[in-house]
Amino acid sequence: MNESKNTWEFGTRQVVYGAIGAALYGVFSWATNIFPLPAAGNVTFRPAVAVLIFFGVAYGPWVGLLAGFIGNTLGDALSGWGFYWNWSLGNGLMGMVPGLVMAAISNFKERADIMKAVGWGTLGIAVGMLFASLTEMFVGGIDFNTALVGYFVPAFVGNLVVVAILLPVLMIAFAAVAARRGR
Amino acid sequence: MLVTWKYRPRNTFVQRLDPRTRLIFMVCIIFALTIPEIWDYRIVLPLFFVSLTLYLLARIEWKDVRRAWLYISILVFFIVGLNGLLSGRGGPSSVTNLPSPVLFEVPFVIPGTDWGWMVPVTVSKLWFALNQMTRMITMAILAIPIPYTMDPNIYGTAFRRMGASDKVSFTMDLAFRFLPTFARDLTITMDAQRARGYEMDKLKGGIAGRIRRLAPLIIPVVMQSTVTGEEVIDAMDLRAFGTSQRTWLKELHYAPRDYMLLGLGAAIFITCCVLKWGFGIGGFFVPDFFTQFVVR
Repeated sequence: MNESKNTWEFGTRQVVYGAIGAALYGVFSWATNIFPLPAAGNVTFRPAVAVLIFFGVAYGPWVGLLAGFIGNTLGDALSGWGFYWNWSLGNGLMGMVPGLVMAAISNFKERADIMKAVGWGTLGIAVGMLFASLTEMFVGGIDFNTALVGYFVPAFVGNLVVVAILLPVLMIAFAAVAARRGR
Repeated sequence: MLVTWKYRPRNTFVQRLDPRTRLIFMVCIIFALTIPEIWDYRIVLPLFFVSLTLYLLARIEWKDVRRAWLYISILVFFIVGLNGLLSGRGGPSSVTNLPSPVLFEVPFVIPGTDWGWMVPVTVSKLWFALNQMTRMITMAILAIPIPYTMDPNIYGTAFRRMGASDKVSFTMDLAFRFLPTFARDLTITMDAQRARGYEMDKLKGGIAGRIRRLAPLIIPVVMQSTVTGEEVIDAMDLRAFGTSQRTWLKELHYAPRDYMLLGLGAAIFITCCVLKWGFGIGGFFVPDFFTQFVVR
């Protein structure tokens, strides 16, 4: 019960880290929006996804949702792409789903906790990118095959590789910073 | 220290507009193009000129937006345009499904092998690429002036007055304020790592190696931001943030010009929806004059 309350809490901490996560995701996305994924429509290679998943895992689902939704909107706006609500919402889901594991992670240095985070991050990527790719059928008028093969698969694989490599590094670095800070 | 956007007060029509009007109008144009999936140049071009007019009315100096335009040009012309030209994807399936004259073929060979294939560039793909670029620029030029012409102090107020909760509005407000700060931190970190011999332009190794080598750029910025976050939380807690409903210092009021622009935005959105869903106008097609022009 207590665990659930903490997971869904939306207070000052969530407001601040939601904003920080969004700004970081926006900046890193903007910096890397120039690299399109091969075979994908307008999907780009984003190392920033690891930062988004990290914020979800470290600070909970609301932070992940806000960071993904606002961050993607900011990154796209800065890059001049305009506003694609379905991709922003998909990115929000991608940050929100890993946030569900927040309460179950106690030590950011432990292999088991890192594996849990990567696993939930993978689920988040699958849910978020599937949502964005499938809704693109209605928004962009593409067919199911293009949505799945042209959008979902490259976005999922690209993000998964980034998360598998960078998320553990971020978690270990965060453990050190948190230990120094004492909270 | 927070770095602000490149905002500067200018006595222009665009800056006299209520910020909510500008955001709602931008959303109207984006939704008008994307929700009914408008690809008809007879609709896209007028919307482009409406957006361009508003952009020019913002009167932003070229030196301020030069870099932004360079980046957007690369993105739109070389990435989105080329992607549309070669793949025809990112839009309606009729671009690639309907028969269209082939203009030329581009050979693709897998590096290190003899395997490859020819990618046909059709009239349909060329027209789609032009359409896609115009649509993107139409949406982009409404978003570009915002950081230069909208006071960062009123982002939160604008979202609150549009119906978002205090907490969500404050998250938006903070995100807009933090963005240039973290952009600056990223630049400083890149410079610092370069001074230590880090060669960003020459990342070697496979994909995994290249991603791993991005860590020296990403980790310092992210970790510093988490420390900054604790300081901001302390400051907000000391001011009892979230304990009761918040008051916002800035007041926003609509003027007649705002109602006019909001009416125009709503009319554009409704017209696009009615044209597309009511009369079947607005879908992708290649006009005869274009086919005759490129196929001689």
